[in-house]
Amino acid sequence: MKKTLLLSAILLFGLFTPFLYAQEMTVTGKVVDESGSALPGVNVVIKGINQGTSTNVEGQYSIEIAKGKVLVYSFIGYNSQEVTVNASVLNVSLEPEATALNEVVVTALGIKKEKKSLGYSVSEVKGEELSVARTPNMANSLQGKVAGLNITGTASGPAGSTRITLRGNGSISGNNQPLIVVDGIPINNDNLGQAGMWGGADQGDGISSLNPDEIETMSVLKGATAAALYGSRASNGAILVTTKGGKSGRGIGLEVSSNFLAENLLINEFKDYQYEYGPGDKGNKPTTVKEAVTFANYNWGPKLDGSGVIQFDGVTRPYTAQKDNLKKFYQTGTTFTNSAAFTGASETTTFRFSMNNMDNHGVMPNSRLHRNNFALNVNSNLGKKLTIVTNMKYVYEKVKNRPRLSDSPGNANYSLYTLGSAMNVEDLSGANKYDDNGYEKLWNDNIYVTNPYYAAYDFQNNSQKNRVIGSIEPKYQVNDWLFVKGRIGMDYFNYRYRAIEPYGTAYKVRGSYSSNAREFMERNTDLILGINKNLTDKIGLNMILGGNQMRNVNRLTNIGGGNYNIPFFYDISNIDPAARTSSEAYIEKRINSLYGSAEFSWNGYLYVTATGRNDWFSTLAKGNNSIFYPSFGASLVVSEALQMPNAVNYLKVRSSWAQAGGATDPYKLSLNYALSGAHLSAPLAQINNSEVPNALLQPLTSTTFEAGVETRLFNNKLYADIAFYTRKTTKDIVSATISSTSGYGSALFNVGEISNKGIEVLLNYEVLSQKSLTWNASFNMAYNKSEVVNLYNDLQTLRVDENRTRTAYVHQDVGLPYSQVKGFDYKRDTQGRIVFDAQGYPIQGNLISFGSGVSPWTLGFTNSFRYKGVGFSFLIDGKFGGKIFSGTNALGYRFGNNIETLVGREGGIVGDGVNEKGEKNTVKVAAQDYYTRIASNIATPFVYSADFLKLRQVIIDYSIPTKFLGSKQPFRAISLSLVARNLAILMKHTPNIDPESTYNNSNAQGLEFYSAPPTRSVGVNLNLKF
Amino acid sequence: MKHKILILLGLVMLMGSCTKDFEKVNINPNAPAAVPLNYLLSQSTLLLAGSAGDPGYKSWRANFIYAACMMQQMASVEVNFYRGTVYTFQGDLSAAYFESSYPNSIKNLVNLIDLAGKDPKDVNIKSMARILRVIESTFLTDIYGDIPYSEAGRGFIDLNFSPAYDAQQAIYMDMLKELEEASKAFNPSASKPTTADFIFGGDLDKWKRAANSLMLRLAMRMQKVDPTNAQVWAKKAIDAGTMNSMDDTFAIKMDNTGAGNNSNANSWNLGAGRNIASGNNIQWAKTFIDMMKTRKDPRLTVIAALKNGDRTLEKQRGIPSGTDATILSTLAEKSLDNYSRAAPNMYALNNPYTIMTYSESQFLKTEAIERGWATGDAKAVFAAGQKAAIMQLNAYGGTLQDADAVAYGTANPYPAAGTMDEKMSAIQTESWLVNGAVMNHIEAWSDWRRTGFPKLIPVNYPGNETNGQIPRRLRYPQSEKGVNQNIDAAIARLGGDTFMNKMWWDK
Repeated sequence: MKKTLLLSAILLFGLFTPFLYAQEMTVTGKVVDESGSALPGVNVVIKGINQGTSTNVEGQYSIEIAKGKVLVYSFIGYNSQEVTVNASVLNVSLEPEATALNEVVVTALGIKKEKKSLGYSVSEVKGEELSVARTPNMANSLQGKVAGLNITGTASGPAGSTRITLRGNGSISGNNQPLIVVDGIPINNDNLGQAGMWGGADQGDGISSLNPDEIETMSVLKGATAAALYGSRASNGAILVTTKGGKSGRGIGLEVSSNFLAENLLINEFKDYQYEYGPGDKGNKPTTVKEAVTFANYNWGPKLDGSGVIQFDGVTRPYTAQKDNLKKFYQTGTTFTNSAAFTGASETTTFRFSMNNMDNHGVMPNSRLHRNNFALNVNSNLGKKLTIVTNMKYVYEKVKNRPRLSDSPGNANYSLYTLGSAMNVEDLSGANKYDDNGYEKLWNDNIYVTNPYYAAYDFQNNSQKNRVIGSIEPKYQVNDWLFVKGRIGMDYFNYRYRAIEPYGTAYKVRGSYSSNAREFMERNTDLILGINKNLTDKIGLNMILGGNQMRNVNRLTNIGGGNYNIPFFYDISNIDPAARTSSEAYIEKRINSLYGSAEFSWNGYLYVTATGRNDWFSTLAKGNNSIFYPSFGASLVVSEALQMPNAVNYLKVRSSWAQAGGATDPYKLSLNYALSGAHLSAPLAQINNSEVPNALLQPLTSTTFEAGVETRLFNNKLYADIAFYTRKTTKDIVSATISSTSGYGSALFNVGEISNKGIEVLLNYEVLSQKSLTWNASFNMAYNKSEVVNLYNDLQTLRVDENRTRTAYVHQDVGLPYSQVKGFDYKRDTQGRIVFDAQGYPIQGNLISFGSGVSPWTLGFTNSFRYKGVGFSFLIDGKFGGKIFSGTNALGYRFGNNIETLVGREGGIVGDGVNEKGEKNTVKVAAQDYYTRIASNIATPFVYSADFLKLRQVIIDYSIPTKFLGSKQPFRAISLSLVARNLAILMKHTPNIDPESTYNNSNAQGLEFYSAPPTRSVGVNLNLKF
Repeated sequence: MKHKILILLGLVMLMGSCTKDFEKVNINPNAPAAVPLNYLLSQSTLLLAGSAGDPGYKSWRANFIYAACMMQQMASVEVNFYRGTVYTFQGDLSAAYFESSYPNSIKNLVNLIDLAGKDPKDVNIKSMARILRVIESTFLTDIYGDIPYSEAGRGFIDLNFSPAYDAQQAIYMDMLKELEEASKAFNPSASKPTTADFIFGGDLDKWKRAANSLMLRLAMRMQKVDPTNAQVWAKKAIDAGTMNSMDDTFAIKMDNTGAGNNSNANSWNLGAGRNIASGNNIQWAKTFIDMMKTRKDPRLTVIAALKNGDRTLEKQRGIPSGTDATILSTLAEKSLDNYSRAAPNMYALNNPYTIMTYSESQFLKTEAIERGWATGDAKAVFAAGQKAAIMQLNAYGGTLQDADAVAYGTANPYPAAGTMDEKMSAIQTESWLVNGAVMNHIEAWSDWRRTGFPKLIPVNYPGNETNGQIPRRLRYPQSEKGVNQNIDAAIARLGGDTFMNKMWWDK
């Protein structure tokens, strides 16, 4: 209540300033920019009394003023101009400010501010950086481009999700990804389904719906300090996407672009597999079909000698190495993108309408991603004081056959990676997939390891998403310093996912059916009061006050079941009625908020800002559901306040402090029961929760402090922006893995504490800036040191994920960095020697931490060259300091794939270490048994440094000078570019796999298990402007 | 002007503070906060056999892959899967019973006992739940040794997130006490579940006798390690009255709707759900088939068939335990199609899920009498058990007649004049056969560990974990290490966490 009063007081503060009016004569005119285009929103103020108006969408204004007085025209990013009134029509042309010193960026709630006024770090990415070198999920194009922005593309195919974190992970089990805001509307970025220990397919995220062609800029608000006005949703920072709008004064414009990308495997052979020995058992190759099937994946036979060997289908083929299976199975992927945009203006309205069509065929055979985007942006001036901005986006997305990942069922990648060394994958294709009944033919001993062609062509999954993101934003300019703005925005989508395990699947002979629908809606209603006033000559006040209501609803419907009655007919009606299951869920949450911010400026070089927001949550109990989040920031442009040496063109220091936070999901406070049908006429019910509910949950708090310096030196050649921050999360809501013997898999606690500290550096240097040749080098780097400070009471460790091998896990350990990769080590004696049992096998030792699965160091290095019309740039990025456990390599030991398993094949192996009595181990074990034992008991050999350097992106572009085209052609501009992404891994330490191969985008990072293979793409981009 | 602004301000305030219906918004509309206790009893009973999501999860891994294969009742050439045949370890197979029981049956039973304890009228449901919890805990402790018991399943009730591992001795003592208290507490005048009771349809006397037979099972399990208490409890059970007839067999009635939750978990694996019988994945073992053949066991043609459905007695053939695909190709019969596997009637989805047969109860009683812990005619008690063991298969689609049982009894008489070893061999061989036939392989394994009967010749397969001996237990889930420190003390008490560490009663 106190907080409400405080806010009301702030609100009322603005109202008691008296308004004054002067009436002499009417002056009208138009304000244009350097190119003659109208400039809407220019402040036109009478000097000395700070009253005035602003220009409309046509750049026109009208003001009452006495003759001889002075009008001041000012607009962010332009030099102010003063004109003495001597006529009734005054047209003015504003010049842009000389350098980018007065760069304008989009900040929280979509408010444009001069960058120099900010007490925190904001990075902007231009739309073209995302649209030229494309990725099917736009977020992946951000890789390496912003210091402190950690993009982790999952190895889950083109329709998969991406993990985005800013300045580390602040919550142990809650959301760690930033809020994504598009034109003022928060959009859903939930992962709609992902692979876990037992497999699954990645069903993508929300940011991938965005069309890079529509994006004007992306503002990356790196932390709570920047995003504080979003309150509970701000603790992980925010990414504000501003889409392109129409421009006035240029008639109808048309822009068309086409992009084609071809894609193939980045790692197209197993360099670290052995191809000396073939499939078999105990040194013998199969002699019967049964043996061929049983040993199909086990490369423990004799040396590959080219002799004949019987295979699963009874055919005898040469016993020779088959190294090209990846190249044979995966195909060249293609992505075609075409887009067109119209822009235009009338007297009162500007608009932009765009269309986009993207068609992707992935490297996985028979997989496809299709996306259409439509966007309309209309900016209307209704009368002098009322403007309405309307944004509408419609996205249609259709995906066929998202690859299954991790565990083996239906996962073609698994089958490919475990194929026997003498098996030609093509021998599994075509008619050879099926037995006489048309069922999946048994080709290995494990029915759960699916024939890869059967997985790709017979397994089916399809999804469609229809998404509408829209907003209407009326703004009423009450007078020259006061406006009222409303905004109602909605993100709505309807997602349908249907998955079919075919009739005849080896592990599920009668198949299965699953159809899920999700309807999502989030509506945000805002009302904002804005005050923008110069209190004196030197002191300016910029203030907003507002309220927000958020309503978020998920409706889920699932139907499905196992066992088709009629073979090969796939519809729910064909599922055995008793085996059909159906469920519905309605999940709603609401947040109500009040917020305000006030910024005082002094003389244009000192800025002080305070913000506050109070959130009320529906997901927490009364008494615990209200929290206030304050923030303070200050910025001083030293170079304007003080005389600087010549070398210093610009110097700004800044600092800020903020609190933000978060609540929990709905229905986490109480125990509920699931009605689970009936048995012999008796209804059934059981506990619904697999997580211990906690009625006393409170909101978590994330406190961030930041200090930074930004400078331009040596004639603006060198630009540097350095930030230091600390971020501490307290009362973190932790969903902790607990012993399953408690009856529950996890429990919700309110006690977690995590600290993140880091530094971000951005350097930009104009190496050459001659008229015909320029060379610009840009380097960004970030280091984030995380530490789990506290979990729950004296709990020292908690488990967040487990690998399918069940020897490696991800934990949060008190005192260690976030997301520890843990696994069973060898048993060791006090001297660290490996201890072997009496039979000569290494013994499983303790569960130990190998390091964090999240790399603390990230860097990106871009060099751009331009020679006349030709540009060339390349981006190298890398991550350092993280670890990854590779289940693929662990199973490579069991299956005898890995090159390490060559040791001891002839004559056995004596492990290097001691026996349990401390004597040197002398017991010899067959290699097959030795490596099999290691694979299922010990993680140590399969934990690798996840460091990498990649040649991420290369672009060559050429803008055809229009003068060469003659005067009769319709083009205003033509540009052509050649682009390539993920060209090469320059450095890595992981045999056989890409170090960026985690199979989901969850908080548990650092586990790999038969993911989709990484790809490289090369393409061409053509852009025409009419 | 000011007027307008005040209105706007008012609107802003309204938006921020309108939180009155927030509590309603946060009520889950799809899952009730309370349900009739009958519903919970019903589902908890089914959870004994398997979880609703994958009914065959623990049955496949613990009962078939390990117990049936270790006991040489079944076998598989897929030694990388059916690891019990060759005594090798795979984490999730070894851990399955543990990992599936606690979050399903134990959790729901503990919660039901708690809820039913709040009102005396629910005492019958409470007693049934207590007995069911003892059954599940028996399986757990007999598979793994020391386990979380007294503090298990109480994550919500006590906020106990890392339950202590109780010593097996303490668990046994408490389970015996639970059975005694629960059976005494049954009250015919309190409310009584009928259709919700899938075992005895609300017949409280049957429940009491079953509780006593279960008590006898536990008592006899302690025979080697604590004969004094074993005798006390065996006497108590027999005096109070154990199962009377085949009608008293403790089995969960199942249904053939096809839905996982309604289906017999073992049938689900052998048939509709995993098809491991017709798929040649697991078959009857040579030891089991040969034993039946030698004894002219009439159950053989009920339980076994070749792939093509042929039930001809002479054609039935078991796979020698330890046979892998390579060894198979050296055998006279190279095609798995021609080896016996569970006949289709054995995996009808509505077969009863049998936890304790009347016959087993009689065999235990025979032993108690022979040890002088109870009075009675051992030979007659044995004979009744033997007959019931044959007729029990009629619950699985058999059409055996009294004459078949009589003939079998004549061919395999009780060695009343023999040594104790000979008697134990006769008793335990019968137990092993009936538990094998009704697929209660875990119980067969426990009996074998205690008594050593029937004599089995272990397999010594390369890479095994036991130096060629039949495992004495399964390993704990690796997933417990790191989330529950209490496991360390349990492992220390056991002397290690391997297949060969003997548990308390296994001396």
